[in-house]
Amino acid sequence: MTADATRIRSLDDPTLFVDTPATIYDAVPPYPPRSEREAEFYHLRDGELLINLGPQHPSTHGVLRVVLKIDGERVVDLDPVLGYLHRGVEKICENGDWHHAISNCDPLEYVASMFSEAMPVLACEKLLDLEVPRRAEYIRVLAWELNRIASHALFVGWLALDLGGLTPILYSFIERDEIVEMLAALTGQRLLFNYLRIGGVNGDLNHEFMSRLGDWMSHAAEQLDNNQKLLNENEIFVRRTKGLGTLDRETALRLCMTGPPLRATGIPYDVRRAHPYSVYPELEFRIPTREEGDSYARYQLHLDEARESIHIIDQVLHQMPDGPVMAQIPRLIRPRPGRAWIAIESPRGQYGCFAISDGSDQPFRLRIRDPSYFNLQAVGVLTPGNLIADTMAIMASLDPIMGGIDK
Amino acid sequence: MSALTRPWGHLTLAGKIILPLVGLVIALTLLLLLGVATGVIPALVLFGGSLVGANLPIVRFIVAASAILLMTVPTAFVIIYMEMKFIAFINMRLGPNRIGPWGTLQSTIHGFKVLAKEDFTPTGVDVPVFTLAPVVVYLSAVMTLLVLPFAPGLVGVDMNIGLLYFFGIGGLNVVGLLMAGWSSFNKYSLIGGLRAAAQVISYELPLTLGVVGVIMLAGTMSLNQIVLLQAGSFLDWFVFQQPLGFLIFFIAAVAEGNRAPFDLTEADSEIVAGFATEYSGMRFGFFFFAEYVAVFILSGLITVLFFGGWNAPLDLNPLLNWAGLSVNTGLDFGRLGVGLLFLIALGPVVGTLLLALPFWMLRSDWSVLKSLVIGFLLFNLLIMGAVGLYLAISFEAVVGLFWFIAKTYVFVFVFVWMRGTLPRVRIDQLMGFAWKWLLPAALLNLFVTALAVITVDAIR
Amino acid sequence: MLLSPPRARRDTTEIRVSTAHASDVMRTLHDDPEFGFDILADVCGVDTGDHMQVVYHLWSAASPDWLRVIVDELPRDDPRVPSVTFLWKGAEWGEREAYDMFGIIFEGNRDLRRIYMPPDYESFPLRKDFYLADDAPRSPGQGFRHMERVHDPSTATPDLLIRRSKLR
Repeated sequence: MTADATRIRSLDDPTLFVDTPATIYDAVPPYPPRSEREAEFYHLRDGELLINLGPQHPSTHGVLRVVLKIDGERVVDLDPVLGYLHRGVEKICENGDWHHAISNCDPLEYVASMFSEAMPVLACEKLLDLEVPRRAEYIRVLAWELNRIASHALFVGWLALDLGGLTPILYSFIERDEIVEMLAALTGQRLLFNYLRIGGVNGDLNHEFMSRLGDWMSHAAEQLDNNQKLLNENEIFVRRTKGLGTLDRETALRLCMTGPPLRATGIPYDVRRAHPYSVYPELEFRIPTREEGDSYARYQLHLDEARESIHIIDQVLHQMPDGPVMAQIPRLIRPRPGRAWIAIESPRGQYGCFAISDGSDQPFRLRIRDPSYFNLQAVGVLTPGNLIADTMAIMASLDPIMGGIDK
Repeated sequence: MSALTRPWGHLTLAGKIILPLVGLVIALTLLLLLGVATGVIPALVLFGGSLVGANLPIVRFIVAASAILLMTVPTAFVIIYMEMKFIAFINMRLGPNRIGPWGTLQSTIHGFKVLAKEDFTPTGVDVPVFTLAPVVVYLSAVMTLLVLPFAPGLVGVDMNIGLLYFFGIGGLNVVGLLMAGWSSFNKYSLIGGLRAAAQVISYELPLTLGVVGVIMLAGTMSLNQIVLLQAGSFLDWFVFQQPLGFLIFFIAAVAEGNRAPFDLTEADSEIVAGFATEYSGMRFGFFFFAEYVAVFILSGLITVLFFGGWNAPLDLNPLLNWAGLSVNTGLDFGRLGVGLLFLIALGPVVGTLLLALPFWMLRSDWSVLKSLVIGFLLFNLLIMGAVGLYLAISFEAVVGLFWFIAKTYVFVFVFVWMRGTLPRVRIDQLMGFAWKWLLPAALLNLFVTALAVITVDAIR
Repeated sequence: MLLSPPRARRDTTEIRVSTAHASDVMRTLHDDPEFGFDILADVCGVDTGDHMQVVYHLWSAASPDWLRVIVDELPRDDPRVPSVTFLWKGAEWGEREAYDMFGIIFEGNRDLRRIYMPPDYESFPLRKDFYLADDAPRSPGQGFRHMERVHDPSTATPDLLIRRSKLR
């Protein structure tokens, strides 16, 4: 492709504001089908209609575009189209050094960025065989669990908002805001924390953080119960989520799902327990599961997990050791050549990172495995046969974050 | 003002219409002033008085129609402000708080905003239908106001088939929604329009059948008569004789007004804005106003049919008489003579000064001017209160209007409350609810009412 | 069957297989109750500079360790590998991403098309011969606007300039 074709048209271009005549746009994309599945999808039967859900749509949680094939109100098939937020984070990481990768990975999961920024950190530590100070490990777990609650709180609000409830999202934001303010006191940022460092964390717990945390802990569980009262026994909410988008165990495993959608089918796969990392082996917590596998089960599971996280935070605060929060590491990091795979449990499932070092100060390859990328595929399995309105309920219950999906 | 400095060719269609109208209005105002000054117009009015007397029904209709058309805009403004503020309260937010005291002028500003926005017609739409649709929706809402009795004697047209007219004209709005959905050249709009058609038609049945019980009890379809039949204490209201009918009517009214939890036609999280997706500017404003006017009208109709319309919950006059508090409303201003002139001339000045005095004395940091302004405002408030009280005592229409508006806004509040609390139902649940539950319940209600009416007649 | 003996480092065991055996190995790992690797944690492509790899990470309830399967030594000019979508349907998007970024063709994937890049895009951005604009000092003198360079193996950048993994 020449540079000329991709040039952005300047405002002086006389053809820019010329009215285009009315045309009936063809629903079919202007290129030949690139795969069997695409050819099948764009072959419309009588009465079927293609409709673009997104990329600018109130309930796609970002710039996701889903092409729906509908027959009346019923969804026959759908085709998610990604890439509207693609920034090439993996390529950018290959061109910066290991420290740069932390802030590059930060905006991947922008709702719980404490998890995505841990990816290059943990991978590099594994490549270096680095022993992280125990206090730093505890602080990391504290920050992760706080962020998990903040993310789960928002999930509940989003689900209700996509079902048409205006109020729960505001209640969720009250809870989330307390945690975000708390983490801002700790890290200096509200959204993209950039707090973890290779070999530890960027600063010890401070007074403001601890006082905010104390305030919040005193009413956290109660607040959680209060906020869900609005939805738990709401007839409309229950009827719209129960039995909707039901996954069985076999399908969930075949779809490579992880996190709450997988655990809602009854499989207790949680990386914190299945493959312990950090100081999770020293902490006592339950892996909540549900058997039903529907949207309502996923909603309930998020609430259960938030409660478990409060329990973990309680333990972390009691067991917090003294000591340094950073290991002694050189400023320029050159891990020995090797491969490392790490995985952690983010609010949306298993966040993974596969790093290859070639001995230089830059990662040779930094592959980020985003849980919502794999979980979102379930939409294609769960939605056909349901109504348009259910598409949103199913999508919201899978909790996709486009920052991570589009990388 | 930018419209005035722009060349003619660059104006939108609305601008081309409005700009000459502005000139016309200015010219007419000048003519009017000139006419009053030269004494031509008073002479004409004297002559016209006899003309009006000869054609009273037509004049009455024109006045009523204009008044109703004019009252929709402030009504919508008030309800929009109410909704913003109450939902903010439910959401634990502040809500509008910048424009006007406590943000009360927010919806007025919204009104100006939609007027100032570009009236955009997308490529590929069916222009005449696209342009007419908001008007149809708005007019169908406004025209139903004509039969709504606000107070004794304060009703646009007292038709003997008022209720039938109401449902007939109110049902027209689905045509407008369908027109908007079809002509917009947008699949979301189409889905929204078709949803509107399905929903409104399905809920027309329980809505109408729910009222038939009231019609049977009242024996008339004139809304004025129905209100008169409920006079007395609150125990005479039809809601106590028709509880099931009220419930059915209320639920169906929520669906008919496309309000949450039945706002599927403009479900923002599903089909963006439904039929209104492609509309902007004042055309969208028409839809928006129509929705809130419909909320007012449906609440008003609930009040009229089931909650006694303008009737007070309790008649206080016997109680007042018993307490010896009879009020003499026969005040004759003519008897005051020259004193009246003095009162008009000196009253405001003395009142303002008297009211300003305590502020000026107690708050040493306030300037005289500030105290005077406060005094003047307080004086006006007092006078308005006094006049209101006087009107309320002397004219029963004012009391009736008060009770009607108060009851109506209680139901408007319930509409808003539901929007803030409930998620949206799904289309199949919506339709299933109408046909499987509401309609049989309405028929049952009809049957039981008919049985009761016959039995009571037989006993008598 | 394996290209080299299994290696274990910390909590990860690594095996390398060739393209011809990839399908059988994955099927055995998934279906054989002795292994029971029913969770596919990740599938991704790697460009080592000399050749392409496809890397799978698997987890089984039987052992707490990760298993890394590397399908190694795919030629850079025509990398082809059998798809695992018949075992894990969810690998579909992972393979689409590897195709989009590296041009690795997964035979048997019914939906192998670009997932991030636009349909008319022609290069494979994560390949080592694709230079970023701000990577210009390191690029072989072709100027700043290198993003859209058509990847053509016959005229690809001289081998010397490609960053290579020293890993074996």
